[in-house]
Amino acid sequence: MFLLIMAALAAMILGIGLGSVSVSPGEILEVLWEEIIPGGQAQEKAASREDAGVQAGAATQTDEAAKTNAVSRVDDVTRTLVMNIRLPRVLLAFLVGAAMSVCGVVMQSVLKNPLASSYGLGVSAGAGLGAALVIVTGAASGLLGAFLLPAVSFGFGLITVVLVLGIASRIDRGLSNVTIVLIGMVLSLFFTAVMNLLATISPTYSQRINLWLLGSFSMKDWSSVGILAVVLVLCLAVFAGFAREMDIMTFGEEQALGMGVDLKRCKWILIGTVAVLTGTAVAFAGIIGFVDLVAPHVVRRFFGSSHRKVLPASALFGGAFMVLCDLAARTLASPREIPIGSITALLGAPFFLYIYFGKGKHAGKAKKASKNADR
Amino acid sequence: MRLHDGRERRKKALLKAEHINCGYGGPPVVKDISFQVGEGESLCILGPNGCGKTTLLRGLSGILPIKGEVSVQGKDLKGMSARQRGRKIALMSQLAETYFSYTVYETVMLGRYVHQQRGLFAGRSPEDERMVEESLQKVGMLPQADRLITELSGGQLQRVYLARTFAQDPQVILLDEPTNHLDLKYQVELVESLKEWVGQGDRCLVGVFHDINLALSFADQVLLMEDGRTAALEEAENLDLALLNRIYGLDVKAYMKDSLKRWE
Repeated sequence: MFLLIMAALAAMILGIGLGSVSVSPGEILEVLWEEIIPGGQAQEKAASREDAGVQAGAATQTDEAAKTNAVSRVDDVTRTLVMNIRLPRVLLAFLVGAAMSVCGVVMQSVLKNPLASSYGLGVSAGAGLGAALVIVTGAASGLLGAFLLPAVSFGFGLITVVLVLGIASRIDRGLSNVTIVLIGMVLSLFFTAVMNLLATISPTYSQRINLWLLGSFSMKDWSSVGILAVVLVLCLAVFAGFAREMDIMTFGEEQALGMGVDLKRCKWILIGTVAVLTGTAVAFAGIIGFVDLVAPHVVRRFFGSSHRKVLPASALFGGAFMVLCDLAARTLASPREIPIGSITALLGAPFFLYIYFGKGKHAGKAKKASKNADR
Repeated sequence: MRLHDGRERRKKALLKAEHINCGYGGPPVVKDISFQVGEGESLCILGPNGCGKTTLLRGLSGILPIKGEVSVQGKDLKGMSARQRGRKIALMSQLAETYFSYTVYETVMLGRYVHQQRGLFAGRSPEDERMVEESLQKVGMLPQADRLITELSGGQLQRVYLARTFAQDPQVILLDEPTNHLDLKYQVELVESLKEWVGQGDRCLVGVFHDINLALSFADQVLLMEDGRTAALEEAENLDLALLNRIYGLDVKAYMKDSLKRWE
């Protein structure tokens, strides 16, 4: 676990440092150190930084900025780059990755299905439809749109889950897994179809819709980082409170009921929380697949299945993985940016196969699991 | 241990099922079944495939909604929360493979769920640890406590699940064909450990067994089911062979004699 924390930190420093302009780890730490420590000196710098920010494009430095340089070695262009562009982006990527992975863990346990992910519930399809509606109606432009797009897509994602659970519990009062998966699948496909229809009949917006769907961390500010961080911490606390119930649920519904778990209540709470968390993540970063499916499996390989360990480890691993994917997304084809959604799968698939079939404490289980499934 | 007098049993009844009807939404699969099991007693449910044995167990354990009443020591299970019910009655269902890799110890510890506090900071008590080790000891899986359940054979997994049921420490254990997947030796051992368990204090057992021989060697009472209804509710030694033959559609005694001949 300690190793994983160190790896996550290293990934973040790498994510901040690399790019069209490289920043050394030493400089990053220095900037962070100075930003975290409050006081008169920092204020003075903040004032001078504003000046530097204005003239950064021209690459000329004012006397004031030069003075700051003398104090801290790190110039203000770098400082702005780190604090206003790289750091929020990396943090957002980390948070989104962590959120997705944790949601994957919970869904796989609740549905007792190693292939489950939060997207199977229709969150993404619903959110996608919401976003497409905002884009097509043209409301996405302007200041209001910047707020409207995530809000509407979040709302649509949540409504979809409520619909899925509502219909499922209508059909089957016990709210069994198969029903949930089936209804989620049906509604997902339906909403995706509606969204595609929207994109087709309004070709001017179709590219924007597609880009949104593939996900990106660019052009995000501190406020999105803040919101997502708060939501993630709250949801993680809920999940942690249900860690044992989730352990039991992986043994199937009948056993869970026989062991005294209030299954229906657990399912509503856990799936509802997943919907909120996924909805928030999707609203800020678009639909980024694969991490939520893969991170839990990789983590279980090393930490076993107990949710007390899997939850925090998945958050760390998923976050670090997402930071690295985002790094690849913006550097591999620079100055163009590859959609993050395709990077996660592009890098993730071979990495997953390597981990899964390679050596590890829990290796060799995939084969056994598939053998058991045949029986 | 056996109580041959029906009236005496009724006085000490621990588990009472009255007019149980249950099913899966359509017409009831289990129709109007009533019985009582006394302290320290075992009831065995027999009947051909599809006669509603497993459904009855599910209804008794609260997994399926029922019409009728199930009570343990006079307390109706219907009003109880899942946790309260879990402390009274435990169901050991038919073997289900799992993909998720818990250790044997972790798996059995999950049985303690109903006795532990809920929520974020719930920990395990020394009592939990003692119960888990004792249960593992009972089924002979203590030496394997650190192995992953995904690496176990079907029979070993079955014993782990039994240990988990013991760790849950209920008053009533419902067993759904617990001897499936088990070698002959473990079948006998399992029955022995069940007998030992039920002999301690105010406990009772209800089990579905495939093997009629095993069932009769183990049970005090037999509930013979046919098409969801009670065909017979008898002391094990009083079970009517002709009825058994008719319901199973086979001359049970002749069949068993035949299989014995092989060894003569």
